[in-house]
Amino acid sequence: MSMINGNEESYRPALAAVTSVLQENARIRTLGITFRLDAERKSFSFNPGQFVMITLPGIGEAPFSMCSSPKEKGHFELSIRNLGNVTDGMFRLRKGDVVGVRGPYGHGYPVQEMKGRDIVLVAGGIGFPPLASVVEHVIANRADYGKVWVLYGVKDYDDVIYRQRMKRWSKAKDLEVRMALETPCSKWKGCVGVVTKLFNKLKIDAGNTVGLSCGPPIMLKFVTLGFEKLGIRDGDIFISLERLMQCGIGKCGHCNIGNKYVCTDGPVFRYTDIKNMAEEVW
Amino acid sequence: MGGPISSKYYLISKKDLQRLLDSLSKKMPLFAPVKHGKDFNFKRLESGDKLDIAGYTNTEYPPRGMFLPEGEAVLEYNKGKFSENFFKGKAAVFGIRPCDVHALLVLDRVMLGHDHFESHYKRRRENTLVFPLVCGTPGENCFCDSMLTRNLVESFDLLFTDIGHHYHVEPGSKAGLEIIAANKGLFQESVHKAAIVEVPCKKKLDTANLPGILAKARASGVWDEVAKQCVSCASCTFSCPTCYCFSLVHDSGIADPEHVKVIRELDYCMLLRYSRVAGGLVFREPRKERVQQFFYHKLAYGPENEGRFHCVGCGRCITECMAHIDITDVIGRIRDEHDKRK
Repeated sequence: MSMINGNEESYRPALAAVTSVLQENARIRTLGITFRLDAERKSFSFNPGQFVMITLPGIGEAPFSMCSSPKEKGHFELSIRNLGNVTDGMFRLRKGDVVGVRGPYGHGYPVQEMKGRDIVLVAGGIGFPPLASVVEHVIANRADYGKVWVLYGVKDYDDVIYRQRMKRWSKAKDLEVRMALETPCSKWKGCVGVVTKLFNKLKIDAGNTVGLSCGPPIMLKFVTLGFEKLGIRDGDIFISLERLMQCGIGKCGHCNIGNKYVCTDGPVFRYTDIKNMAEEVW
Repeated sequence: MGGPISSKYYLISKKDLQRLLDSLSKKMPLFAPVKHGKDFNFKRLESGDKLDIAGYTNTEYPPRGMFLPEGEAVLEYNKGKFSENFFKGKAAVFGIRPCDVHALLVLDRVMLGHDHFESHYKRRRENTLVFPLVCGTPGENCFCDSMLTRNLVESFDLLFTDIGHHYHVEPGSKAGLEIIAANKGLFQESVHKAAIVEVPCKKKLDTANLPGILAKARASGVWDEVAKQCVSCASCTFSCPTCYCFSLVHDSGIADPEHVKVIRELDYCMLLRYSRVAGGLVFREPRKERVQQFFYHKLAYGPENEGRFHCVGCGRCITECMAHIDITDVIGRIRDEHDKRK
């Protein structure tokens, strides 16, 4: 993995162009982004769970986790929900428009350590993107990993993202996608309730399973308790935390939780590293 | 910078110090304590400006801004191109107190340590000459004795001590020696180390096993009491010489959307907006959690991450607090509670 620009220039982003815009639902879009310079296309690679800082000149900068396969060099995808200044600006982007990108930053999910293990991934709402990147990585390296369960919790039927992807994933060997809707809907015949309800029917070999999650704080808390109840060891639980980083390099302090920095120590944490932290992480 | 660079010491008369500062201020921006109203603050001395530090204990605001300005355009976007704006040239600061140099050593570990370094702080730090002035009489809120920040053995170019008729000068770097060599006529050699009578600080903060005590004191009622007093004005963080948190803010670009400046401006964890994420969720909404963040960052996470307390005992947070919260008193109460439980 190598970084664009890096140390000598702490904040200068590389230029990258929007190559695709996919409307996932009314509020969420997935943008494909490719670096403009050949050298940057060659040098940029990431691990699932890492993030980049996206700059829109005059509007601001914000962190996003990649949702695409790390196999594609110099290109990545981001799923964004229109929630703030920067995401609002990103909703105005069209194919060919240019953004600034720096990164990737932080530590992602431990895809090396996970080899040979079964995996339960639990995604909540707009927390899905980094886990989608893990799923793409697993499918691209199917023989390296055991059974995979993708559990996805979402509020309303119309909020569902990655419909095409989930269909594609379901065709992969030993990979199951299950979804829980919080709000009942005539179009949905499956599980209704919070995502942890899907744990009830899960039959796993807990000793050989890693649990990964990303989503709203309250969900992370209950998913982690759920993982423990399933018998997954604390050291095999990996959680992606959200804070609004400004620098991405462990200096600005905004993502500080206890003595940790989400941008450099995380954003993906091993549960044992944050379990007894001085400050509440959820 | 590092250990002793020369076995020689020097003396400079007060008149000649003014000559030295005049000559330096022609070569580079030179900052020194300047009295305005009742307080001293670091201001730029132009050539010919007289240094007047009668009655100086320390500046109202820390010297941090010369290394990590309140606001600085670090990045520019101009007609489709980003470029990083670096501090160019040299600067010098005279009269910074040893405790505040210790604060720079904390900032060094944060800004230059760990996986990345912050390139703008690095440029300013490397290109700013530091001429500290040793303290004799501490201010009423000082507790540098407790934080072991009263003396300085590293990280200065020339260390000045007021010995009455003269300043005693100890070189601490090659750059410091070069200044002496270039201004030979102003300095006379001395074999003696500076000796001054140190008046002890009135305030004390017992640091023994403090991170450990704080780790067990998260649920203490003292924090509720402090949170009731606190008004979240952020004066403590604004006046702290080791506070470094910042945001990167884009100017709107409305005037000229093709030319945008990205300003790195200091930000303060006492404010609600500080821990807000997209969608409006604020991670440290209760005031108590923000109060705890200040104390824990200074006295627990600092030692854990950087091997140093992020408090140098300058007492500014006590002086500036409009709610009269006193860090030495708060930690004293936490310690009392801890001792009673034992």
